[in-house]
Amino acid sequence: MPRRWTPAFQILMVVGLCVFPFLAGEYWLHTGILCLFYIMMASSWNLLAGYTGQVSFAHAAFAGVGAYVSGLAAIHFHLPPLLGALLGMAVAAFLGLLLGVLCIRMGGIYLSLTTLAFSEMLRIIIDNEYEFTRGTMGLSVPFLLPVYSKTAAYFLMGLATLAVLYAIRVIVRSDLGTAFRAVQNDETAAASLGIHVVKVRLAAFVISSTMAGLAGALYGHYHQLITPEILSLNLMFFVLAMTVIGGMGTFVGPIVGAVFLEFLSEYIRIYGQFHVLLFGLIALAVCRFAPQGLMGLWQRRVRALPS
Amino acid sequence: MQDLLLYCTNGLLLGVIYALSALGVSLVVGIMNVINFSHGELYVLAGYFSALFARALGFPVVVAAALAVLLVFLFGLLVERTLIRNTYGNDMASLIITFVLSIVLQNAYLLIFGPYPQKPPNWVDGSTHLFGLFYYGNQRLAALGVGAAVIAGLFVVVKKTWFGKTVRAVAQDREMAAMVGVNPDGVNMFSFALGCALAAAAGVILAPIFPVTPTVSVGVSLTAFIVVVLGGMGSLGGCVIGGLILGLVQNLGSAYVSSGYKHFFGFFILLLVLTIRPTGLFGRKQL
Repeated sequence: MPRRWTPAFQILMVVGLCVFPFLAGEYWLHTGILCLFYIMMASSWNLLAGYTGQVSFAHAAFAGVGAYVSGLAAIHFHLPPLLGALLGMAVAAFLGLLLGVLCIRMGGIYLSLTTLAFSEMLRIIIDNEYEFTRGTMGLSVPFLLPVYSKTAAYFLMGLATLAVLYAIRVIVRSDLGTAFRAVQNDETAAASLGIHVVKVRLAAFVISSTMAGLAGALYGHYHQLITPEILSLNLMFFVLAMTVIGGMGTFVGPIVGAVFLEFLSEYIRIYGQFHVLLFGLIALAVCRFAPQGLMGLWQRRVRALPS
Repeated sequence: MQDLLLYCTNGLLLGVIYALSALGVSLVVGIMNVINFSHGELYVLAGYFSALFARALGFPVVVAAALAVLLVFLFGLLVERTLIRNTYGNDMASLIITFVLSIVLQNAYLLIFGPYPQKPPNWVDGSTHLFGLFYYGNQRLAALGVGAAVIAGLFVVVKKTWFGKTVRAVAQDREMAAMVGVNPDGVNMFSFALGCALAAAAGVILAPIFPVTPTVSVGVSLTAFIVVVLGGMGSLGGCVIGGLILGLVQNLGSAYVSSGYKHFFGFFILLLVLTIRPTGLFGRKQL
């Protein structure tokens, strides 16, 4: 896209997104809110996987932590959901720090294995401690706001999404972001330039877990029902597939991927429960033939055009 | 006392099968530095194949099991050639691809075979009176024997044969091995498929005892990974010891603590290993 169009395009986007809830029906509004949740999840996972090269499988688990902490706090201590979301973020950050300290030193494969095990174990605990978490029955929690309104929820989620995206933008453009990419490209070279590799990775891990905690808490209170499904590998897979299909390591990629897959899954739902399989096949094809994702394809096309 | 011995025997059986399945992961990690997240799905695939061949097509159980392992081996060759080969040197890409593959396979099984557990017929019937204390199913004893035999066979292949030598050469130094005339790509492809075949062997051995469903695969993969980390990445001997430890701990833990937390004990071991001795019991030595 030519540069001079960008401001106009941005204004159009903002106006469109603000008008959307008033034009869309109940159903598409719900889809839009889900999109926002997925954008938060995919973008924050991308911060970790795309920019520092650590494939964590615990992202959905951290969203689950946020949701359950906030939900349980609302039920047992009558904490308002928005404060609960902050508490959920804090707990997700703390757990992320613990898990990160444990496995980031070993890096690469160890991180992926440990995070996968962590997320499965968390699911087992929640399934088994049903007296406290209501297990697979699900935990009924209060709505985000005192009054029920989908439009308000949309704007609230939208604000949270903007905050997350803005934070990611700032981080990626800061020195820390440069350090992230340096660590991803060449650990040894980065270390030789005085970058503390473990600290940088840990920072990325904690920041991304915190964002997942926020997304999960808001999602739980929006749905008013929290089930162990949120910690499942299926949700993790959606987040991963959205990022990979959109384009890992790009800012826009996860957003495009999240919106694309969420709307696609709404359209193919009528043909039965094939959407997971289809997403998987698309993701495999993208990994194999276009590792840079949709954004990579787009950029290649733009570059090929005569300017 | 009687109970304890029974739990230990169960633990030994599971430990052997865990070791068998983990050897597949360890072999591939040692040679290609790739973790196959769809390991458990291949176990399940072999279970389904053996059930299908034995029940629907009426093959003898042994033939059905062998055929299932062979088919999974071929599938492994195909996966390596089409998906894994162009990710060499990029550990992250192979992680992502095998993870996506695992989800695709799980959902494909759900579509093809349905959510209900399926099991191939038992190889042998009846039970044996063990230690003069309890009766133990012959099928379980047979599984224990066959599992141990396959592990022994694998060790002979890796330590004694020409193929094993080339594999160890590639694991030690890929370029040097290529220099003296080993084809590293061929070795990779073959070892990846061999890793898949080991998962399949574990699958056909355990499927008559624990029927397969599309989602048991996650537990299978996780236990294999925990065993590999516990034994030390790339150490085959460590896998066997690690598998036995995990099998015993899981069975004793679920008997005396809580069966819902069966897989939790493995995670606890993983945490312990990562904090105390991240290289595992036997470190990363030569294969």
